[in-house]
Amino acid sequence: MPTPDAHGERHPLLAAQEGIWTGQQLDLDSPAYNTAEYVQVHGPVDSAAFEEALRHTVAEVEALNVRFVVDGHGQPWQLSVPGIDWQPYIADLTINADPHRAALDWMAHDMARPVDLEHDPVFGHALLRTAPDQFLWYHRVHHIALDGFGLSLVAQRVAQVYTALVEGAPLGDSGFGTLESVRQEERAYRESKRFVVDRTYWTQRFADRPAVAGLAEGQALPARDFLRRITDLDPGDVEALHSVARELSVSWSDVVLAATAAYIQRATGAPEIVLSLPAMGRLGSVSLRVPSMVRNILPLRIVVNEQDSLRDLAVRVSGEMRAGLPHQRYRYEQLRRDLKLVGGKRRLSGPGVNIMPFEYDLRFAGHRSTVHNVSAGPVDDLAVNVYDRAEGSGLRIAVDANPDLYDEAELAAHQQGLLGLLREAVAAPAQVIGGHRPVTVLDGGPLPLPARPVLGLIADHAARRGGATAVEHGGQSITYAELFGSARHLARRLAAQSVGPGALVAVALPRGIDAVTAILGVLLSGAAYCPLDPGAPESRRATLLEDAEPALILTSSTYAARFPDRAVLLIDAPDTDAQAPASASGDPGDPAYVIYTSGSTGRPKGVEISHGALATFVTGATHRYGLRREDRVLQFAPLHFDASVEEIFLTLCVGATLVVRTAEMTESVPQLLQACDRLRISVLDLPTAYWHELAYAVSTGAAALPTEVRTVIIGGEAALPERVGRWRESVGPSVQLFNTYGPTEATVVATVAALHDPALSPGDVPIGVPLPGMRAAVIGDELYLVGDALALGYRGDRPQDDTRFAPLSQLPGSPRGYRTGDLVRLGDDGQLRFVGRADDEFKISGHRVQPAEVETVLLTHPRIREAAVVGQVLPDGTRRLAAHVVAEHPAPAAAQVREHLRATLPAAMVPSAVEFTDRLPRTGSGKIDRNALSTAVNAADSVENVTTTAPTTGSSLEQAITGIWEQILGAEHISPHDDFFDLGAQSLQAIQVANRLGVELAREVRVAWLFQHPTASELARHLEHHQDAPATTPGLPDTVLADAVLDEDIAPAAPADTRSAPRRILLTGATGFVGSHLLAELLTATDAEIICPVRATSPAEAADRIRRALTDQQLPLPADPQRITALPADLARPHLGLGPARFAELAKSCDVIFHNAATVSIMRDYASLRAANTESTRELLRMASVRSVPLHLVSTLSVAPPRGHSPEVPEAFLPPHPGLVYGYQQSKWASERLLEQAAERGLPVTLHRLGRVVGAPDTGFVNERDFLWSVLQSGIPAGILPDLFEAEVWTPVDYVARAVVRLSLTAPPSGTVFNHAPVPPLRLADLYDWVQEYGYAVKRLPLAQWRTELPRSADVAATTGAFFDSWTGSGDAESSDAEPDLGLGRVRADNVLRGLEGSGISCPLADRALVFRYLDHCVKTGTLPDPAAREV
Amino acid sequence: MPEPLTLAGFRADLAEFLHQQPDEVDLEENPLYAGLDSLRITTLAARWRDAGADVSFLELAERTSFAQWWQLLSERQAGAAHADA
Repeated sequence: MPTPDAHGERHPLLAAQEGIWTGQQLDLDSPAYNTAEYVQVHGPVDSAAFEEALRHTVAEVEALNVRFVVDGHGQPWQLSVPGIDWQPYIADLTINADPHRAALDWMAHDMARPVDLEHDPVFGHALLRTAPDQFLWYHRVHHIALDGFGLSLVAQRVAQVYTALVEGAPLGDSGFGTLESVRQEERAYRESKRFVVDRTYWTQRFADRPAVAGLAEGQALPARDFLRRITDLDPGDVEALHSVARELSVSWSDVVLAATAAYIQRATGAPEIVLSLPAMGRLGSVSLRVPSMVRNILPLRIVVNEQDSLRDLAVRVSGEMRAGLPHQRYRYEQLRRDLKLVGGKRRLSGPGVNIMPFEYDLRFAGHRSTVHNVSAGPVDDLAVNVYDRAEGSGLRIAVDANPDLYDEAELAAHQQGLLGLLREAVAAPAQVIGGHRPVTVLDGGPLPLPARPVLGLIADHAARRGGATAVEHGGQSITYAELFGSARHLARRLAAQSVGPGALVAVALPRGIDAVTAILGVLLSGAAYCPLDPGAPESRRATLLEDAEPALILTSSTYAARFPDRAVLLIDAPDTDAQAPASASGDPGDPAYVIYTSGSTGRPKGVEISHGALATFVTGATHRYGLRREDRVLQFAPLHFDASVEEIFLTLCVGATLVVRTAEMTESVPQLLQACDRLRISVLDLPTAYWHELAYAVSTGAAALPTEVRTVIIGGEAALPERVGRWRESVGPSVQLFNTYGPTEATVVATVAALHDPALSPGDVPIGVPLPGMRAAVIGDELYLVGDALALGYRGDRPQDDTRFAPLSQLPGSPRGYRTGDLVRLGDDGQLRFVGRADDEFKISGHRVQPAEVETVLLTHPRIREAAVVGQVLPDGTRRLAAHVVAEHPAPAAAQVREHLRATLPAAMVPSAVEFTDRLPRTGSGKIDRNALSTAVNAADSVENVTTTAPTTGSSLEQAITGIWEQILGAEHISPHDDFFDLGAQSLQAIQVANRLGVELAREVRVAWLFQHPTASELARHLEHHQDAPATTPGLPDTVLADAVLDEDIAPAAPADTRSAPRRILLTGATGFVGSHLLAELLTATDAEIICPVRATSPAEAADRIRRALTDQQLPLPADPQRITALPADLARPHLGLGPARFAELAKSCDVIFHNAATVSIMRDYASLRAANTESTRELLRMASVRSVPLHLVSTLSVAPPRGHSPEVPEAFLPPHPGLVYGYQQSKWASERLLEQAAERGLPVTLHRLGRVVGAPDTGFVNERDFLWSVLQSGIPAGILPDLFEAEVWTPVDYVARAVVRLSLTAPPSGTVFNHAPVPPLRLADLYDWVQEYGYAVKRLPLAQWRTELPRSADVAATTGAFFDSWTGSGDAESSDAEPDLGLGRVRADNVLRGLEGSGISCPLADRALVFRYLDHCVKTGTLPDPAAREV
Repeated sequence: MPEPLTLAGFRADLAEFLHQQPDEVDLEENPLYAGLDSLRITTLAARWRDAGADVSFLELAERTSFAQWWQLLSERQAGAAHADA
């Protein structure tokens, strides 16, 4: 017989408690696990007796007399403390104006207090008097101690004890069992066969890890509070609900679940919904009589079909419930571990539905009461709580929402939508409830002309322009009249063989005049043609012929022997065979051709296209491409590809000339283009794969696009953005480039995009909009096609599931549609983008991954030529993505490839294996053989691959993290990019790792961070930068954006002349650290007079300031004092404070402007900096525009986006980004933006972004006003230095001045951006090491701690301290998340390096010796103590 | 007055909730493994209370076979004869 826990005993937590404990560790300050209810007692309450009843009951409940402690391994324990010390709160609130309101406010306040599980009681009680005869008993308990049922057991006992006390009756026994009995039962279950049965059920039911749909975008960790909206269903609705349930023999909860699933399906379009169902978990268990926490959650999968009624769904839910409920004891947390759905964004189930039938009718000494729920615990996403109120008074529905995912308005909309749907469906349970998936229809518009049969159009040209050339091939040609005549003749020969309407004739001929004649001849006979590749392998030919069953094979004597057992007509036979009149033909409904495509099942499918479809396509496409009679169109495609249909019929129907390519033409791209030039081709229709080569050749100059080519049509596969970009850059918009998309089933081409449109942004490759006469319907994400160009169907008998033609009930009139199986996305511009094949979609960690998306990003890597991504299921059931990559030599490391992907893709989409190969396997038709790739692995080498392709061990911080994970998981070789949870990590282990890591790094490591950053590399980055997840993207203030617009009148007034040597140069900021060096360099490098506007009250003072600036930096004064003209000025004022006359005079006389002045202050806001930093740029651009003279702007790398936003800092102007938070950055960014517009308008401007500019190595001078030096100067005397960032670029000032002047004066192209980061960044760790080696004993601290420990006495320290305070908004050391992120991605400096090549100017590396020189200087000037003196 | 609960009626009630035929109901089955949940048991308890057998959710929920349920219900039938038991 289990006994109650004795004082001081410690016990492991129950599984359900462990789940709660883990959740609490994610956010220790969260009060979300407080659950509570209040009982409204309708009648007087004796407070003293009530308090006694509370104390008596609490003492009886073991689960409340506890504390929770953690051992050295991070393992939690429940410590028994019988007779725990606690105080109820008893208050009379009737003195308040609104006592009930006051009571609720008090409860809200109490609920908001987080519980410290180690020190606080896990519960609280209050008795609040709200009216003379009205009391509210409030009862709060941490979810770790009790679940909802446990709470109700306690409440019932309190009512019982109170009543007995008031009535003077014996209190009786509580009847509660012991916690030990619950623990024993749980242990027994875990050892039982039943446990195995249950685990098998759930792991099989969720083996495919269904995608989990939620109503909100994204996911969030449970928030600290929740939003709630309450409605009571009136008895009429409840009766209708019960009646539907009775009729279907289901429970009313099944009906509520069905309606909820239908609502989510309607909102998301997801075909399957997974709900979370809290389950009491006590049937047949001792815990029915033990107040405790044993509640479980069941994941419930519900498929929602579009035609489902509430009846269908409720019955399905009921069945799913009956199947799952027997296994309800299996823990949800355990199932997530089994399925590897822990951590990150992995979800097992979505919105919750909590059905609570335990309305308890409590009596307090005879007085009635009503129970009200206050909180049921944290809300992950959305939770629908249904309370069955006693005595048929209806149902109360409380919809709770996580405020991180929903706002009040969204919650209200969902609550109303859900209840509306429930009422509607219950009133009409047989009506369709399954919502249509979201449907978007794109209409290609009507045909510009009625679709005329192709034979009629060609006959017209033969009749009216019979002498015009129809087809040319290798020096031979045929006129329209000749072509039509031969075709008619052939038709008569065919008719003599009884070939006519309804028959199919296989045409087995190579490209050429004969083939075109043959095709037309077959059509004129009334039959349909089926092109056969005469060179196809025997078996393929046999398969096709068997399926097509042609009446006749039309071929030439060369190939006749290949068709021994078939009826054959030789097109080149002596013209002796019989002739018969051909039937008039070409009815829109008659088949015109059959083309075979490779079916998904492997069996080829013959697509039957009617004359009507062909005519529709020809009319629409001719119009869209703008094809003309004068055009000469290359016939490139083999006849058995339907691109040949486009080439042949579009050309002949418009009366143009078809030029058939010869075999030699495709030996190389230059050869093809030379031939096209010779043949005066104006329209090229090419397979996209071939065009990729062509675009590359043209862009590199290896081949030239003939001048006559005016239109290029590509299709067949997704065009690579990189190649499209090259084409657009080298060819420009004058040549039309049409990207076409279309399955054979929709007659060659269904949608077309004009890629030459300059409005398309770089990297964007749409497939466009439907051709006239066609519509595209996007249902879910899948593309359906509707219109007259759809095929008749497939030839022969085919299994039902082999056909994708079906009425689209989602569209008015349910027109016939073709389901393409292609996933698309509709852009804001109304054009479609191809996303991938629906079949290729792979589910991993609850995400649906489209390999094509990953491939597209892989191909943006400069060294990757080809890529194929497939999902693999390893023998142990692990699912992973594998990338197969063909790279240029030297191939990038796998880690670099993943890093590249990680910059744009969510973690789940980054393949865990990257494998390099020389070529990708391809199928017979030249497509990548995905089956071969996805089955290529076996467990043994996959493990090896993961490790061998990811040999990186990472930074020391990453190593610290992986090291601890290796200990905890007992694994070896964890790479910085491995996802801990993919490796099987469990929440508890994550907590242990957080603890150990915190100890090892001597800093706070929150458990939540491990869940948010589940790889060592991500976590390290987060820890280094204290970077919060980019939850919100703060927009730039409107004033910044407004200031960033360049006035229209600032434009070059004259053609720019940048060549002649400048005579007058304007230099701003000449008294500054960089400016004085620029001045010195300009004096050396040019013979010009340098005009220096300086803040001063007189010319004399201005001149004096310049002189002092130069001498302070030990820079030489010019021999000729006339070289420098110092002007009193104020850049923050209009006309730079020079006055309009002086301003105009400078505009007329200055030949070059260097704008280097800026107010550098990270503490000041934008408003106080805009005049000096941004408006001055505008004024100077205005000055420069008068004579179109060059303007060189000195800016800062601190305008670049932090690494978290961009892995690279390009040498290009920057769009606005969320990293622009400080006024200084904003003012410099706006300045750059003005320059960018000036460049666009043709002003010769350049931009120089500087990193940290340090003193010249010769002098060892230090820029006293530099931020890092002020940190050193305040930190070193105190012996502590902060961890600020990983590394940054250091450039000595003399180098910077030479580089800027040199690069500017060589007249670079307008708008060139120079990032002055020509050397690898200096690591802060190295810097601090050297400081230490120099003799300063310094300790490194996390920034927050450094700030608090830094003595505020020294004035430098006061400044830096104040700076950090301003940065984080307060002096609060807790808010370490708000700390600045100073880290940049890789800074590109190609322009700088190229520009300085051969100049002899190179940047010295900042090394130990240089840092020592700087420190020497500081010691010499007294800004730092002498380390030797300090030692003493 | 409600009809007193008979074994046949008891089987019929269970069959309805289990989506079975009354003669398919296995009285030795554990209500948990049969796929019942607390709401369904609450509903059954209410139905049987209406039929004059005073049983609570808790009493049903802690029993581990339908036979035990019937035994309890039989005992609680106010003055009921066990004619067809």
